Amino acid sequence: MRRNAIRSASFGAVAVLALLSATVARAHHSFAMFDNDHQIKLKGKVSDFQWQNPHVYLELDAPSDKAGGKIASWTIECANPGILNRIGWKFNMIKPGDEVTVIVAPLRDGQPGALLKEVTLPDGRVFGNGGPAGPALIH
Amino acid sequence: MRDRSFAAVRSARRTLTLLAASLTVALAPAAHSQSVDRTRSDSGTPASRDFGGTWDRAAPPRPTGAAPTPTPQETGVSPALGGSGVPGARPSNGAAPPAVPTPPLKPEFLGKYQARQKEVRDATARGEPLATPDVQCLPQGMPGMMLAIFPMEVLQTSGQLTIIEEAFNQVRRIYVGGQPVAIEDAEPGFFGHSWARWDGDTLVVETVGIKDVVRYQNVPHSANVRINERMRKTDADHFEDEVTVVDPEYLTEPWKFTFRYQRRPDYKMYEYICEDNREYEDASGQQRLRVNPR
Repeated sequence: MRRNAIRSASFGAVAVLALLSATVARAHHSFAMFDNDHQIKLKGKVSDFQWQNPHVYLELDAPSDKAGGKIASWTIECANPGILNRIGWKFNMIKPGDEVTVIVAPLRDGQPGALLKEVTLPDGRVFGNGGPAGPALIH
Repeated sequence: MRDRSFAAVRSARRTLTLLAASLTVALAPAAHSQSVDRTRSDSGTPASRDFGGTWDRAAPPRPTGAAPTPTPQETGVSPALGGSGVPGARPSNGAAPPAVPTPPLKPEFLGKYQARQKEVRDATARGEPLATPDVQCLPQGMPGMMLAIFPMEVLQTSGQLTIIEEAFNQVRRIYVGGQPVAIEDAEPGFFGHSWARWDGDTLVVETVGIKDVVRYQNVPHSANVRINERMRKTDADHFEDEVTVVDPEYLTEPWKFTFRYQRRPDYKMYEYICEDNREYEDASGQQRLRVNPR
């Protein structure tokens, strides 16, 4: 009960801070190299999870239309540890071998790289990628 | 003789260890019984002059009659899921720019600046963003670091304010009192040389020695640029930093803007080392992502 109250209070605090700071929201760099309007869903196996700055990277082996349904290795850019920690991620919550589902905005240049919008972990928990990266537009 | 001196050192070391152990035992209950507010300075600084603690940037005061900020429920993007809860926060749908007025550049610099800004906007609109110093993982320097894109920590000690910005592990030192550095002797750096004095409860800071590559909002400046700041607590948990960039060689008049902060109690700063930066600038100046590094 108490834990829930604390959690709810901290989510409230996060909400307030996010609202107050949104007018100057800015990322490490522009995200325009990712095609936000053509988001895709990928389901696959994590080959590496790199928790570091300036970005966290999720390497995912997943079949995709782009690879003709074959499995391709995707580099998925996440926000940075600070942003992700502040929205509830933990450095060890994803491990190589995990089966995850992600919604991403792919690179416009055709390479198998993308910006994360939302990840669903093996236990069903769903995490976004912070304010600057923006929300998932498909489900 | 040698054995004896070793024995003496050993004995002294044993005594010290015992002393340290008993001190630890003696002090431990006191340490546990005291509640330490690590977000404020502990030097007896009056609250009106106390900038110590962890801070987040804050929105400017809402103009009278403006619509209230929407709640996360209204926007449908839960902050708990990482959404900012605010429409327009995504860069791709037009995030509100920081409230910084157009720099009053002299005509000979304004044209080039505006052309570059247009180039940056057009490239972004085409989905081919141009690389910025951020892409190279360079710190923002002054005054950009005061934007506090991530939380910021202020350590206030006797004669010094040390400001640590989480993004890029930026550190800035402001010396309060003492002799300022002459501008011609100020070795150029990202954060420059800052000294300050008190004007009532306002900390008046002057900074010189900013490197040419450090360009807040892409605005060029001369080697003689001065950044004046007036830092002032607006209440116990808020302060503002009124910035005036003075650069008669480049600007027709001083360029003014204000950064605002709100206290973020008990926040613990994260480190930020550009360990593996996969973004890079290609030959055309465009920002790219290196994929599949193995």
